[in-house]
Amino acid sequence: MKIFDKNDYKDLDVSKLQYVQLEESIHDTNFETKPIGFFKDAMLRFCKNKSSVVASILIVIIIFFAVFGPMMNDKGFNDQDLGRVNAPPKIPFLADMGVGLFDGGMTLVNRRVENLSDTSQYPEGCILDVYNRRFINGVEMCDLEVDYYIYNDVDEVYWFGTDYLGRDLWTRLWRGARISLVIALVSVVVNVVIGVTYGSIAGYYGGKIDMVMMRITEVINAFPNIVVMTLFIMIFGTGIFSIILALVVRDWIGTARLIRAQFYRFKQNEYVLAAKTLGVPDRTLIFRHILPNSIGPIITRTALAVPGAIFSESFLAYIGLGLRPPEPSIGILLSEGQKVLLYYPTQVLFPAILISVLCISFNMFGNGLRDAFDPTQRGA
Amino acid sequence: MEPILQVKDLTVSFNAFAGTVQAVRGISFDLNPHETLAIVGESGSGKSVSIKAVLGILPKNGRIEKGEILYKGNDLTKFKEEDFYSIRGKEISLVFQDPLSALNPIMKIGKQITEALILSGSVEKSKAKAKAIELMEAVGIPDPELRFEQYPFQFSGGMRQRIVIAIALASDPELLICDEPTTALDVTIQAKILELINDLKRKKDLSIIFITHDMGVVANMADRICVMYAGRIVEYGTAREIFYEPAHPYTWALLSAMPDLDTKEKLFAIPGAPPNMLMPPKGDAFAARNKYALQLDFEEEPPYFKLSETHYAATWLLHPDAPKVEMPEILRERIARMKEKEAKSNGRAE
Amino acid sequence: MTKYIMQRLLATVITMFVILTIGFLVIRLMPGSIFDGYDEMTPEMMQALNAKYNFDKPVIVQYFIYLKNILLHWDWGISLKMNPNVPVWTIVKQKIPVTLYVNFYSLLLSLPLGLLAGIVMALKKNSGIDYGVSFLVVIFISVPSFVFATGLQYFLAYKFGWFPIIYDVNAVGTAKLHSLLLPILALAFSPIARVARYLRAELAETINSEYMLLARTKGLTYTQATIRHGIRNSLVPLMNIIIPMFTTIMGGSLVVERIFAIPGMGGLMIQAINTSDHQVTLATLMFYSFISIITILLVDLSYGIVDPRIRIGGGKAE
Repeated sequence: MKIFDKNDYKDLDVSKLQYVQLEESIHDTNFETKPIGFFKDAMLRFCKNKSSVVASILIVIIIFFAVFGPMMNDKGFNDQDLGRVNAPPKIPFLADMGVGLFDGGMTLVNRRVENLSDTSQYPEGCILDVYNRRFINGVEMCDLEVDYYIYNDVDEVYWFGTDYLGRDLWTRLWRGARISLVIALVSVVVNVVIGVTYGSIAGYYGGKIDMVMMRITEVINAFPNIVVMTLFIMIFGTGIFSIILALVVRDWIGTARLIRAQFYRFKQNEYVLAAKTLGVPDRTLIFRHILPNSIGPIITRTALAVPGAIFSESFLAYIGLGLRPPEPSIGILLSEGQKVLLYYPTQVLFPAILISVLCISFNMFGNGLRDAFDPTQRGA
Repeated sequence: MEPILQVKDLTVSFNAFAGTVQAVRGISFDLNPHETLAIVGESGSGKSVSIKAVLGILPKNGRIEKGEILYKGNDLTKFKEEDFYSIRGKEISLVFQDPLSALNPIMKIGKQITEALILSGSVEKSKAKAKAIELMEAVGIPDPELRFEQYPFQFSGGMRQRIVIAIALASDPELLICDEPTTALDVTIQAKILELINDLKRKKDLSIIFITHDMGVVANMADRICVMYAGRIVEYGTAREIFYEPAHPYTWALLSAMPDLDTKEKLFAIPGAPPNMLMPPKGDAFAARNKYALQLDFEEEPPYFKLSETHYAATWLLHPDAPKVEMPEILRERIARMKEKEAKSNGRAE
Repeated sequence: MTKYIMQRLLATVITMFVILTIGFLVIRLMPGSIFDGYDEMTPEMMQALNAKYNFDKPVIVQYFIYLKNILLHWDWGISLKMNPNVPVWTIVKQKIPVTLYVNFYSLLLSLPLGLLAGIVMALKKNSGIDYGVSFLVVIFISVPSFVFATGLQYFLAYKFGWFPIIYDVNAVGTAKLHSLLLPILALAFSPIARVARYLRAELAETINSEYMLLARTKGLTYTQATIRHGIRNSLVPLMNIIIPMFTTIMGGSLVVERIFAIPGMGGLMIQAINTSDHQVTLATLMFYSFISIITILLVDLSYGIVDPRIRIGGGKAE
């Protein structure tokens, strides 16, 4: 602790012991930094979060393929050909690079080694690998990995292979992704519209109206999701719209509660009270003050609801309440692929990867949004 | 008399998102045994941070840059977390600002008081309960036997603060630190809690550090007062010196901003906002808000000028060559009134 | 407390009743007769059958007969399509145990693992471990249980041969557990991650709470304060996620049962829906409703036990 001693301050410039602002009125200084808007600020924070940026890029890529993927080859999603069923995936340039998954390989077991050179049985160039040579009853046997396309004399190439009806799985996968995304996004949007409207009414009026409205949501909420969706599809059939609505029946309640809570929170805020005493009409209050403040949570919720909707759609497909054939969706591809998993695992592999990447990306994207809109909740 | 606690040149900073916040910038003070020292300052002046450093409970992003905290000769800045276990509660205890959030909502009151005693193994369970009930009586809880089994939500704010005080005293500490203990309470209850703290101090021979932003609260509590601003102590002295002979313009401002019954004029508000502690200003941090600021206040940090054996203030106004300045009129009147009142009440007492 | 329990019980009974009513009406009012597709049946036969099963009476009357049979005789009707003339309850009661087995074990597995992961993440917040586990958590939450089930089945059961590919109906004891471990695991991933994520957020907050600080300043060690005040308190709101968690497990189990050919309620429901065997469908729907409503009830009640504010607050009203 430094105590004043004249000797320490010999060089002190005594002329500076002068009042400089005795007569000035001192007031709060203005902020020197430029104010940043809410959304710009959120955007900046979002972009700093690497995982959510990666997630956004993945989502864009998937959407791109969902839109243009089916047009990338000349095969239709329902072109059947029983002469080329269950073909393995083959992408020539990847096969040349030695990526085993895309070499069109198919396993044949218990083949006689002496026949391998017989080109009528094994067309030239079709044998990719010979292994497991052994003698059974004095005959040399082996297992083979052959190129399906050369072996079966199919002159087309199916990038992701074909299914049990010989339909091109590339086209079906992206068409399925398109439909699943449409179902998920539309249902989420409907969910938000209903939820925001319902929640605003309950939150704005409060009192008895609010009580009755909340009781109704409690009753609907008591129904387990499985039961509600099943009953719904049983009544309205398995069209795309009834599936969309089935996903909304119960999910909008969460949104409604969120909005209602926001209303209650902001109704008590001083600025809303102040605006009210100044005679600002209710409509202005809702649209200028309360709803804009709820946009962050709504957007976040929307993003986080997408994986749930994709899950539910697949779930319905699995239990036989999905879209009617031949229309594909990710869930239908998964459940069809599941049936032949042990023989043709790639039929389930691609839809499984797609649904996983899609759900992970939307979750990370949603988490990023939440952190960006509400930095205090970070990591929650 | 050997001081029980000596803080020397303590500097604490925080790593924040935007950079390093210099919360406490070289403060020094002593606490003598059985004395009440008040640390006064507005929010963000670094008072809470200093006492968190004393107890070793700085948040993870905070660190002591330099300085010493000597408690009975041991430097607490060198202590590890485990070393503090023999200090916290047993030697130094803390009373929190907000009794609503300081008590565990789902644990019975009694258990919260006896927990530390039992866990440290110093007292048996049955004796701990007897002690807790005795303490609850001492802090003025009616029906302590019944209250022992209740939960925090069944207590009013003032009662909860009494419980927090009982918890703090459970292991018989010598030093009690009160961090704004009355800020979250109603005005009517504030006085009672202050009275209780004074009463307990006498009965249990405590030394107290009392942290507050309210000059009014300090008046009846403190033996000595430190006034903090922007992480520094700008003035310190005995309570009488600070109230009757304040020398730093910030202390003037604080005293002028204190409401009292006789002031007819509009209450004084300190203009401007506290400085950004990411980049503390050069010189006297208060200069920008200070009407009486000198050129030098903006350029060079003022040292402490000695006003009496116990009274120091850090402002260039006290330099022998500085213009002679009088404290504001409003404050002079106020002090005169206070003195008059005191004289009157003393007269009556005699 | 008694009053609180009575209120919750009453609410549960009413909810069950409402679900049963709506379910019955929806299924009965669906277009088409249940005899569609049996073209060889003569109108006389149909009439006789309709009379036998009361389908010729108004829906309301049918409903009261249905309700009366359940309440008085525990008679859920008979299956008409899947196992004609077999009472629904006889079919259902064979399927319930294995479904409960799978669901219960996944919940049992996920709680401790999730709690552990959550505590580790919260205590090591913003460290490498935290980021690593958080990444796993996002994957476990996002990827649907049936994708996990498929992966586990293909690799662990088919490729490595560590587990049976499908459920072995005759297995008992540990062999049964071994045979059901993959479906249990597949269902447990998402709840583990949910618990972990929730606890991490909750604990990170309680650790910074004032009462944690008070616990430390009154002389508790950091570990003591964390366990007695931090973890204990952050477990209270965990109840909130047990309901959605259990519903997720149940939804997933419908599909996972099918993947592993487990003859449980999931398979029964799918089969009943696809064969339009409405009595069976309704019974399976009621089973799933019952399970989730019981879960809600248990969670509500345990809230009362854990949180004194609810227990004693409710007691005051007596």
